[in-house]
Amino acid sequence: MKRAVLAAIFALAGCSEKPAAKADGTKIENAFRGAMQDRSSKSPPEALFVEKCGMCHRQMGMGTVILARRMDPKVAMLEARTDLTAELITAAARQGIGNMPRISRGEVSDAQLSEISNYLTKGAAK
Amino acid sequence: MTSFNPAAFRAFAAAIGQDWVMTSNEDRITYSDHFAADESKHQPAAAIVPATAQEVRAVVRIANQYKVPLWPISRGKNFGYGGAAPVTKGAVVLDLSRMKKIEVDTENGTVLVEPGVSFFDLYDYLQARKIPLWLSVPGNSWGSVAGNALDRGVGYTSYGDHAARICGLEVVLPDGDLVRTGMGAMEGNPSWQLYKPGFGPSWDTMFCQSNFGIVTKLGLWLMPEPESVQGLDFEFDKPEDLGWAIDTIMPLRREGVIQQSPSIGNWLRSAAVMTTRQQWTKDKGPLNDKVVAGIREKFKIGWWSVQVRFYGPTEITDASLRVLEKAFDKKPILSKKPAKWTRGDPPEGSPVTGVPVSFPLANANWHGGRGGHIGYSPVLPPKGDLAMDQFKRTYDLYSKFGMDYHASFAMGDRSLTNVNQILYDKDNPDMMGRVDAMFRALVADASAHNYGEYRTHIEYMDLVADSYGFNDHALRRLNERVKDALDPNGIIAPGKSGIWPKALRGERS
Repeated sequence: MKRAVLAAIFALAGCSEKPAAKADGTKIENAFRGAMQDRSSKSPPEALFVEKCGMCHRQMGMGTVILARRMDPKVAMLEARTDLTAELITAAARQGIGNMPRISRGEVSDAQLSEISNYLTKGAAK
Repeated sequence: MTSFNPAAFRAFAAAIGQDWVMTSNEDRITYSDHFAADESKHQPAAAIVPATAQEVRAVVRIANQYKVPLWPISRGKNFGYGGAAPVTKGAVVLDLSRMKKIEVDTENGTVLVEPGVSFFDLYDYLQARKIPLWLSVPGNSWGSVAGNALDRGVGYTSYGDHAARICGLEVVLPDGDLVRTGMGAMEGNPSWQLYKPGFGPSWDTMFCQSNFGIVTKLGLWLMPEPESVQGLDFEFDKPEDLGWAIDTIMPLRREGVIQQSPSIGNWLRSAAVMTTRQQWTKDKGPLNDKVVAGIREKFKIGWWSVQVRFYGPTEITDASLRVLEKAFDKKPILSKKPAKWTRGDPPEGSPVTGVPVSFPLANANWHGGRGGHIGYSPVLPPKGDLAMDQFKRTYDLYSKFGMDYHASFAMGDRSLTNVNQILYDKDNPDMMGRVDAMFRALVADASAHNYGEYRTHIEYMDLVADSYGFNDHALRRLNERVKDALDPNGIIAPGKSGIWPKALRGERS
């Protein structure tokens, strides 16, 4: 059923040759191209963030797209935020927030969540 | 069914470690269907998270001993169909998301994945090793490659019929036995992921949308990176253009000129992902013509849109494109736009070239608050007049129940899947009541025309299974005879696809 949604997004296509990874993570000039995320990482905690959270919280992720409706799009990606706390991250992951589903301990263990939380709150990504 | 013998959980913990037996209230909530208005209805009692097929076998044996119903999930991202949640409240989720092994055969274009491997995981694996194989991804690529194929999910490329690309499974049976299908039945056979049938009966499809076993490895064919991708994006101005557009494309689909499944869909597809409803109107009723015109103007789209793509050597995609152009020559399209990617170009970066995405899930935010959607997807013959009739009847039901029409028709080799999304606000009880009534009305309407759904939400599995009624539900009786033979204790996914084990048949809704 998701196919239907996607096909429509391609209809927005222009002719940009630019690849993905826009700074604010949501503005795609051409949705036929450029929906690709930067999946790279420079440290094990960052790699863990990319593996467990990046699909929604990097460029053009579902979380990034929706958060950009509620705040400055420049900080819609979690790695650009400076106001995150471990408590908020843990609550959002385990209890869900808005459209974000809960993340089970089977998918992200408490230890992994703590490592991701440290990464996001220590400004490691900036 | 909501409380179990504590001895069972001690045994599970002894088998796979206490850390991976999850019984807290928070755990139950994380495995519930977050799209549901009443999550308690299908809430599991606990979750068990094994790491290997051997641990799965141990868990299954214990579940048999203590009669604990298990609900196996690959990654639990089947949003719109129940997520990780079981049909039966109080079942124990068997979460396979820790099983993440990937084995790629680059030369032959195949992969053997465990259930925990997501499309993003497999994409990252191929990219890191510069393996020139492309994925076919669904709109929610957060989910499991194996789980999606087993649930007959679809993608955008010519490998988009995922279940059709399955080649060889490893399955834990309900009694804990371990079987490999196809050539995998021979120890060390190098053709397990290459030759589907094997010797004697073929069993791979038996484990699709079923509750006959727990798949712990799945073989899948992957598309070699093509030299080029070319195609056209067509826009159509009027609702009634649907019929002739389908009749124009289908001959090329049948001939094999078009090898992916073009999906022709309406204006809401773009708006629901990229915007929220309140950006367009404050009215509660169905979107009026003025709003629809505004959406079309903003996104530069027709009432319907379709994207057709060809994959392969440039000589072939060039020629295919000419055939497509000729088919649409002098047809009253609103517009067409070419698309082209050639090997050596910068990454094109979209699902049509196998790049995983999650942003289409943003359509759950259409109504603003905590949203969700369910899909209603009957299959019909690929004829324009039937599609038009289906569209009109469905559109009228959306209007009657005050919901925003969101639909597409995906053109398969010999069929048309009418994918309808019902987008809702789960915190609006009035709307949720209408969604349930509307879903039932849609199924009744399909049944009245002898159409059946290809896939459905856990809440409606009995309803849909009931519509397959030939000879007093002979297929269901067959399924349940198989179920009882393989799973006499009824521990694997009771109620999945309307298949109930003997002891629980009274729970059929």
